[in-house]
Amino acid sequence: MSTATTASASARPNGFIARIEPYMGVLGPLVMIVMIALFMGVFEPARYFRLSNMNQILLDAALYMPMAMAMTFVITQRGIDLSIGSVAALSAIIIAFLMKQYGFPAWVCVFIALGLGGTMGLINGLVITRLKVPDLIGTLAMDLVYRGFALVLAKGLVLARFPDLITEIGRGQMFGILPTPVVIGLITMVAGYFLLRTTHFGRYTIAIGSNPEASEMTGVSVDRHKVYAYTLMGAMAALAGLMLLGKLNAIQATSAPYFNLHVIAAVVVGGTSLFGGRPSIVGSLAGVLLLSMMINALVTLRIEFFWQSVASGVVIILSVAAYAFLQKKDRDGAASLSAALANPDNRKILSLVLTFAAILAALFAIGAVLATPPGASG
Amino acid sequence: MTANRKPVISMRGITKRFGGVVALDGVDLDAYAGEVLAIVGDNGAGKSTLIKILTGVYQPTTGHVELDGKRFTMADHSDAIANGIDAVYQNLAIADHLTPAQNLFLGAELTRSYLGMNILDNARMEREATEVLRTRLGVELRDMNVLTESLSGGQRQAVAIARAVRHKDLRVLVMDEPTAALGPQETARTLSLIKALRDQGLAVIVISHSLDDVFEISDRIHIQRRGTCAGVVETADVTVEDVLGLITGARATAA
Repeated sequence: MSTATTASASARPNGFIARIEPYMGVLGPLVMIVMIALFMGVFEPARYFRLSNMNQILLDAALYMPMAMAMTFVITQRGIDLSIGSVAALSAIIIAFLMKQYGFPAWVCVFIALGLGGTMGLINGLVITRLKVPDLIGTLAMDLVYRGFALVLAKGLVLARFPDLITEIGRGQMFGILPTPVVIGLITMVAGYFLLRTTHFGRYTIAIGSNPEASEMTGVSVDRHKVYAYTLMGAMAALAGLMLLGKLNAIQATSAPYFNLHVIAAVVVGGTSLFGGRPSIVGSLAGVLLLSMMINALVTLRIEFFWQSVASGVVIILSVAAYAFLQKKDRDGAASLSAALANPDNRKILSLVLTFAAILAALFAIGAVLATPPGASG
Repeated sequence: MTANRKPVISMRGITKRFGGVVALDGVDLDAYAGEVLAIVGDNGAGKSTLIKILTGVYQPTTGHVELDGKRFTMADHSDAIANGIDAVYQNLAIADHLTPAQNLFLGAELTRSYLGMNILDNARMEREATEVLRTRLGVELRDMNVLTESLSGGQRQAVAIARAVRHKDLRVLVMDEPTAALGPQETARTLSLIKALRDQGLAVIVISHSLDDVFEISDRIHIQRRGTCAGVVETADVTVEDVLGLITGARATAA
């Protein structure tokens, strides 16, 4: 976004931004994807654009596609689900035990996993709609519950080596070239698109997120359709758990720790509004691809793994802030620095920032002056 | 004018208590087909409670409602819709992120069968929505494929009204403050829309604070004061001052 377009759009509310706004969900990630591609094309073209690496990016993205699809529904209803990592881990752990210790056939376990995940999502939905626990707290607490059960079951064990069907789901190839997880991921995305466009559930998801009171007044069963969304979310989290199980051919209780924010980031980057009513399944797909490309780029550049967490967080903040900026119709002339400083509130915040910086600098200086060689004391 | 006609809907001796508060005390109301009945009154006079009972949202403590002279009870708002009574609320109850057609059919979507599944028939809903808007309300939207949030206040209201009149058996339409949020031009259009609905044979009941609007569109005026009916007058027979007197209690009863 250049400053020139911003300025012209603020002068004419129906200008450029208004016209491209409906497509921002796809355009935004596409622009960023192109930027990453250009950047990597300059710095690491050989390793980044290898076919095997492209395959790796798709495989990684596929894991998040089912969850991003379901999360699009949850967020469109003004909800959020912070339990999906634990749902994925717990359902994968349970079927891992069923297969390894009790000899259950793999194909039955696939459906058991989906059923378990759906049930956990259903419980989330009931906690939110019946017990009236706000979604943020409710799913965060259930995240602890599910993760706790996974730890109780698996202790510190790593369960490994599963039947072919499971590894086929996680890393197989269809017709020799198409990776199975990518096919599964894309199928869920397409199914999500039709769910949104052609079913009561999809229509009411938008209505509930847009205006819950109006939906209730026109006879839409708001709570029931919220429960449906969380149930779908749970089932898709379990599917992801299944794909992860097959991809690694191993699972442990602490698997899938970063699912929550990664999926929410992908959906939000894709233009689905956190304020409800604006879904974009295509945008969610673009968001998933973008995040996978970004993380793969960090790996290719040999940046330490832990920076991924930083990058995901920054991407969420930037994209939400960008959409909030685009949504705001009455951008006034507060752009200049002197205008911002004229605002007494801003001046007080600035002095708070400077005070903190000064105190921290002083503390570091004191610490450095008084520092003794490590290990010398105590 | 109304003496030799039968009312479509009547309320008889309606009393509504909320705990110790008496919101309505023995109110009668008659509405006739092809007529606009205005309900006016101060804040807290019982207007909203009255129409909420009429549309099945509340149940009266005592008293009853008659449709074509026959007593009937409504458990909730959907019973009212099933009996041909619907309301357009002040806040319109519109989902801004749906298209006009999607709003028009919200909660009552048309479906078709596809491979054994019932899926939404978006094309037919859009066709019928366009049709209802044009034939019943005389409203032609430039583009049916936009989100309702981009429409003007009057167009949004037309969508809300169309949702009510879409039912072929609708006979009583209640409108709560239809012009409160509109500019002068849109108000004029909404008023002519109300007249058109009246001429199509609906019994239209309008709650309004604007006496200008009331005198422009209504055939009769029902005045509420402190939970009771302070009088029902023929609009043609009275002046604004008469009605104001009845609202404030400066005049005891209708002439």
